[in-house]
Order: sequence, then C-alpha cells, then structure tokens
Amino acid sequence: MRKFFSLGLVRGLIWQVIGTAFGIGLVTGVRALMRLPAWKAEPAVVVGALFGALFFLYGVGVLDDWLKWANGEETSDEEVDETGLGRRRYFGASQDHKVIGIQYLTLALILFTVGGTFALIFRTELVKPGMQFLTPLEYNTLMSLHGIVMIVGILIGISAFMNYTVPLLIGARDMAFPRLNAFSFWIAVPAGIILLSSLFLGGFDTGWTGYPPLSVRAPLGMQMFFLGVSLSSFSSILSALNILATVIRLRAKGMTPFRLPIFVWAAIATSIISLTATQLIGLAFQMVMLERLLGMGFFDPVKGGNPVLFEHLFWFYSHPAVYVFVLPGLGVISELLPVFVRKPLYGYKWVAMSSLGIALTGFLVWGHHMFASGMAEYLREPFMYSTLLVAVPTGVKFFSWVATIWKGKISFPTPMLFVLGGIVVFLLGGLSGPPNATVSTDLLLNNTYYIVGHFHDTLFGGYVFPFFASIYYWWPKMTGKRLNEKLGKLHFWLMGPGMLILTLAMMRVGLLGMRRRVADYDPALGFQSYHIAMTLSGYLVALSILIFFINVFLTMKRGEVALGNVWGSRSPEWQVASPMPVHNYDKPVVVVGEPYDYGLPGSRYVKFEGED
Amino acid sequence: MVESKSISKTGTPPTLRLGFLVFVVLAVLTAVEFAFALYFNIWFLLALMAILKGGLVMYYYMHIYKLFEAEKDENRESFAYKLATNRLGLWFFMLSDGFIFGGLFISRFNLLGLTRPDVNQLLGVTVTSVLLVSSFFANRAEVSMEHGNRNQAIASLVVTITLGVLFLVGVLGVEWRIAPFGPGDGVQGAIFYSMTGFHAFHVLTGVIFLSIVIRNLVRGRYSAEKHWGVEAAVVYWHFIDFVWIFFYPALYLIGTLPH
Repeated sequence: MRKFFSLGLVRGLIWQVIGTAFGIGLVTGVRALMRLPAWKAEPAVVVGALFGALFFLYGVGVLDDWLKWANGEETSDEEVDETGLGRRRYFGASQDHKVIGIQYLTLALILFTVGGTFALIFRTELVKPGMQFLTPLEYNTLMSLHGIVMIVGILIGISAFMNYTVPLLIGARDMAFPRLNAFSFWIAVPAGIILLSSLFLGGFDTGWTGYPPLSVRAPLGMQMFFLGVSLSSFSSILSALNILATVIRLRAKGMTPFRLPIFVWAAIATSIISLTATQLIGLAFQMVMLERLLGMGFFDPVKGGNPVLFEHLFWFYSHPAVYVFVLPGLGVISELLPVFVRKPLYGYKWVAMSSLGIALTGFLVWGHHMFASGMAEYLREPFMYSTLLVAVPTGVKFFSWVATIWKGKISFPTPMLFVLGGIVVFLLGGLSGPPNATVSTDLLLNNTYYIVGHFHDTLFGGYVFPFFASIYYWWPKMTGKRLNEKLGKLHFWLMGPGMLILTLAMMRVGLLGMRRRVADYDPALGFQSYHIAMTLSGYLVALSILIFFINVFLTMKRGEVALGNVWGSRSPEWQVASPMPVHNYDKPVVVVGEPYDYGLPGSRYVKFEGED
Repeated sequence: MVESKSISKTGTPPTLRLGFLVFVVLAVLTAVEFAFALYFNIWFLLALMAILKGGLVMYYYMHIYKLFEAEKDENRESFAYKLATNRLGLWFFMLSDGFIFGGLFISRFNLLGLTRPDVNQLLGVTVTSVLLVSSFFANRAEVSMEHGNRNQAIASLVVTITLGVLFLVGVLGVEWRIAPFGPGDGVQGAIFYSMTGFHAFHVLTGVIFLSIVIRNLVRGRYSAEKHWGVEAAVVYWHFIDFVWIFFYPALYLIGTLPH
C-alpha cells in the first residue's frame, strides 16, 4: 500500500483533488468576503481546476529540483540510475528521455482509445436518420470531444516520437533540459483530466474549434475544454523548446546540418511551429474564458468586439498545427523508407528543406479556413495562393519517396507496410486538399463532410500510419522484444481498407450535401447506406487497434527477443544492443559518413569514439 | 571577456557606464516619444521609436549577441557549454512568450484601430519611467556581478524589485481603480485590462524570480564566473520591459480618444 502511494502519479492525483478543493474554496471565500453571493459555479470550477493542475505538478514531483534551487540548495546534474525501480519508474517523474518518451506514448494511446470510443458512439448514432440513443447536446459533446481529444493525443504522440528518438538519432545522452522535459510531460496529464471532465460538467456543443459567440453561451464544460487545451499547449511548447535546444547544442561530433537523420529535420520544423504559434490558440481560448468570467467583450459585437478576430487567432495556430501533426509523420516515412528499400534517400537536402518550407509557408495560410467567415474579401486570393503553394514542398517529398523506392530491394515487414500505407493515404488527403484551398469550390464544400474526409485522410496518412510504423519499428529498441509480424500485418490490412472506405464515403456524402457536426440527416437525401458503410468501417478500424493492443500484450508476455540491429539500419541507435542502456551511448558517437548510403559497400554513418 | 576580467575593482567599470549611457538614450527617446504623441501623434513615428527602444534593450541589456558567441568548447559537461545552452533555452522561451504579447497587440489594433482607451496620461508616463529605471538597475546588478561586486548587485536588485512593485501598484492599484471603465465595459475595457493584466502577471513573476535570486545572492550562491541565476532573472526582467516598450504606446499614445 505504501509502495502504491509513493508512485508519482498517485501522489499527483491526490494533490490534484486537494488543489481543486482549495481553488473552489478560495473563490467562494473571496466572493463571500466581497459580499457577493458566495457560490458561483463557473469561476469556482475554473480556478479550482487551475489550482488542481498546479498542485498535481507539485505532487508528482517535477517541481522538486526547481523548488530546491529557489531555496538555494544544490541538485545533482547526474542522471539517477532508475533501472532498479523496474516498471515503477514509468509512474513517476523520471528525467530520462526514453522513459518520458514511453510515458508520452502511453498517454497518447490512452487518449486515442478514449477519443476513438467517442467517435464509435456517435458514428453508431448516425446509422439511422433521427435521434436514436443520444440527445443533440450529448452528440455535440461527443463529437467535439472526439476532435479535441484526438488532437491533444496527436500532439502528445508527437512528443513521444520526438522525445524517444531525437536524442538517440543525434547521439546525445539526453535532452538539453531533462527537468523541463519531465515537466512538459506531466502537465499534459492534469490537462487531459480537465479536458475530459468537461463531459461531466454539462459538455459543450461548439466542435473542437470553440468559436464564439456560441462558445460564450455553451455550458460549463466549455471552460474545461478551454482550460484543458491551454494547459496542454504548454506541454507542446516546452517540448518543442527542448527539442530545438537539444538539436542545436547536443549533436554528435561530425553531425553537420546535412548529415542529420532526416527525421530530425522534421522535428526541427515541427518544433518551430509548436514553439511560437501554439501560444495564440492558448491566448484565443483564454480570451473567451475571460469573456465568460469577467464579461470582457473581445468577441461580443454588442460591446464592439469582433468574432472574426477569434478565428484569426485560432487558425494562426490551428492551421500550422496540422503541419505539426503531419511533419513528424512524413519525417518517419523518409527515415524508414531507405532502410526497407536498401537505397539512399533521394534528394536528401531537398527533403530536409521541404520540411522547413512546409513549416514556414504554414504560417501564411490560415485564412483559407475563413473564406466563408465574413473576413475581408480581398484577403481570400492571397490566402488561396499561399495555400496552394504548400503543395510544392509536399510534392518534393512525394517525388523523393517515389524515387527512393524506384528499383530498390524492397522488403515488406510491418513498419514498411505502414510507411507505404501512409504514402498512399496521404496522397489521397493531399489531392482532396486543393478544392478546399480554392475559393470558388471551397464556398460549396465548406462545412460539409467532404472536409471531414479530407482531414481524416491527411491525418491518417500523415500521422496515424507513420505513428504505427514507428511503433513497430522502434519497439525492439524500447523493449528488446519484437512485435508479432502476423498480428501486425493483420492490423495493417484491417486498418488500411477500413479507413479508406471511411474517408472516401465521407467525401461522397459531403458532395451529396451532408453537413458536418450535425447529429441528424434527412433520409430523403439518400445517403443512409454510406453512413452504414462508414460506421462499419469505423468499427473495422477500432478492431484493428484492438488487435494492436493484443499484439502489445502478447509481446510483453512472451514476445520474440530481438536485441540486435533488427532492420539492418545505419542510424546510431541500432548500433548498440536493445533495449537502450540508461545513458544511451557508452562511448560518444562520431559521424563519419552520409546517413543514408544504403547499398554502398564499406560505407558507415557512425562509429564510436575509440573504434576504427 | 578577457578585457573585463582584468579591470580593477575600483572605479566605474566601462560596462556599467555603457549601461548608464543606454539608459540615458532610452530616457531621452521616451521623452521624445511622449512629446511626439502630444503634438504629432503619427502612429508610425511612435512605432519607429518603440522599435528603436526595443532594439537598444534587446542588444545592450538583454545582450542577444551572446547567443551567437556560444561556447565552442567541446566538453559538453563544462559550465560554459551548459551556460550557452541555458541562454538558448531562455531565448526560445521569450520568443514563445512574445507571441502571446504579439497576439494581444494585434487584437488591440484589430478591435480599437486608431482609437485608444481613455486612461491617465500622467500615470502612464510615470509607470513607464519607473519600469525603465528598474531595467537600468537590473542591468547594473548583472554587470556588478560580472565584476564580482556582490554587494552592489544585491543593492541594485533591491532597487529593481522596489521599482517593480511600484509599477504593479501604479497599474493594478491606481490605474485599474481610476480608469473610467471596467473590464466588462466595451471593447476598450477588455483590451486595456487584458493587456495590462497579462503584462502585470509577468512583472509579478519577475519580482518573485528576482527575490529568489537576491536570497541566493545573500547566501553566496553566485560568483563572478557562475551567476546564471542572476543573468536569467535580469534578462527576463528586461524582456518584461521590452514588452512594455510596445504596450505603452499601444495603450496610451497611439490614436485618438473615442468620441
């Protein structure tokens, strides 16, 4: 029992409860002192949740070293060897980037499961016209939460990717700021709890975008949504800061910019967006929170406010955010392809620069979400052209992938299947994009299921498939065991067709006139059969994920042991035995060649200091 | 670096004088800015002044150039190498934080255009001066520390914090009370209270940060060679001043009163 209470997570949760109670008491007390009616739910709950999150961070122990510094005590910079703790270290504030990466991965998978379950529930509701078992508010809440829980999950999953692999790929011992790294993970936990608590506090009905004026009138759950996202944005910002500093300062000897593993370039591009633009979604959400709490009329036309301002602030982040989601995924595709076709990556420099190109162009395109918003009309064309411009660097990537595959010695283990699946699906997502970027067609497609289909294709191709590819690929590195190939292939062959049917049917009903974010549809429109197909394929995707979890469970029980260089990769992390030792590399890594010279006899990418 | 180490402890070290010169220029520019606002009120002149002032603070007080003279020392575990990494981290943090203030700044011009909130001009120029003087003393503290003059550093930081608290009293205690509108009164109230509020929150964290640094200074935690805590707190303080250099004209000077 005592062992249980010494877990960081348990202590954190207990402190979160205490903090929430403290915050609620504080607001109620202050209101009583100010001779106002003591109980008002909204400010009390918001302040309570905020204090709950802060107390959680204290309880879990990520603030310990900083509190010691503030107190003038010294702390050791030496990493603590936690291997003696066994699995317990995954439940506390560890500073090892590999532990934190796995923590992020676990949290991301939990959030995906929750968000996916929400989707299944409202997908089932859509099988028949009319309302079956959900009320419209419940439908809206589930639909909105599906969106935002998945997005937060994706952001956390990206941190998982980057945290685990970037220090290994560049030959570093750890991240530049290990304490900050632990902080950025653990703040996502109370943020997730607060976000999900909106389900029990009246829900909200705005979709994940939270546009005012609707979000100003939505139930109390809206505030939990805003607060949860604002807090989790810190996770993403601080994680990006850490990645950038790590890549700039802690690269192995000889690892010049154009000898970086290509995934690291994607991580840099992603982090540039996360570090800067994320603040604006936080700001936009906080402004609505203030409007609700204090009546500040930012977005209230009666008070002279401007609802379109919210959309500008929101999309300034939320469009580049899509590149945050897909860039690491595209980086994984470029990273893994050469391994499985045994050929150099075609046009390395162009691929590296295309990641930066997508990221920087991404800052100039947000207005394409607002063609129908009433934004100044002369802004439409520039945003249209800047958006279409994104196709150029993305095309560079596709060209490089095709040329890399060309005449390669291709093998098809599970990670490669997911890589190829990702390329195909992302191509569909990409090709369905320009009609939305073009003003004339977008005005018709705006707010239809076509957009939903396009978006899901982009994210499945750019994120979900590469995400699973990298899990299958790096699993032996993380655990020393290899995931079962047969189950992995089954996973792929269920998920691939399942989601293709799903998204193509989405685009089809969208063209037939199905509006998005609506709980009901007219049977006379004649697309009920498509809805049935979508729901069934949704369950197919869910089944494939279930198979993945079964695979993980079975592999942990009695998986095939894989300690060596399973995939015949050239990158440094595969040159040492799996699972990775605590301090990563015993001897410093030295880069002696090009990263992707597969098939060039006698060439090496890295060696270890002292070797020849 | 070698030069400054060889300077004797007596007399005014040149860097202290430089800090003072920068302060004088900033003060003159602020006065000119105020006069401009009274007599011409051309927004781009005021914007130009703010950019000029911001550039001076960023270069001389926040010494951004130190980022680019990062330690080439190959020993990753050395203090110098970690110091350069820490500097980079702090700058990334400020860049990120700057986007919040940038968002508020843009919102202000989107919602109010070339009108400004009806606020007390005298108070505005007073709190701005207070923050400017506090920045001078913060710089003095850091430079003193570089020369190993701990007592002078402590004294300068005490002045900095006192002025910081005065600024908070001026904005939160006086301006918020005497303003003819509340946060819920129209869009000017929303903008005014949110911009000053977000900024004041940063001032508050700066004051707390500097207080911790003073406590550790008194305990002898920092030396002429190793005083990252002092440097970080001071640069963060300058960053807060930097933000105010843009917020002050945006809130007080640019535009005309609404009719």
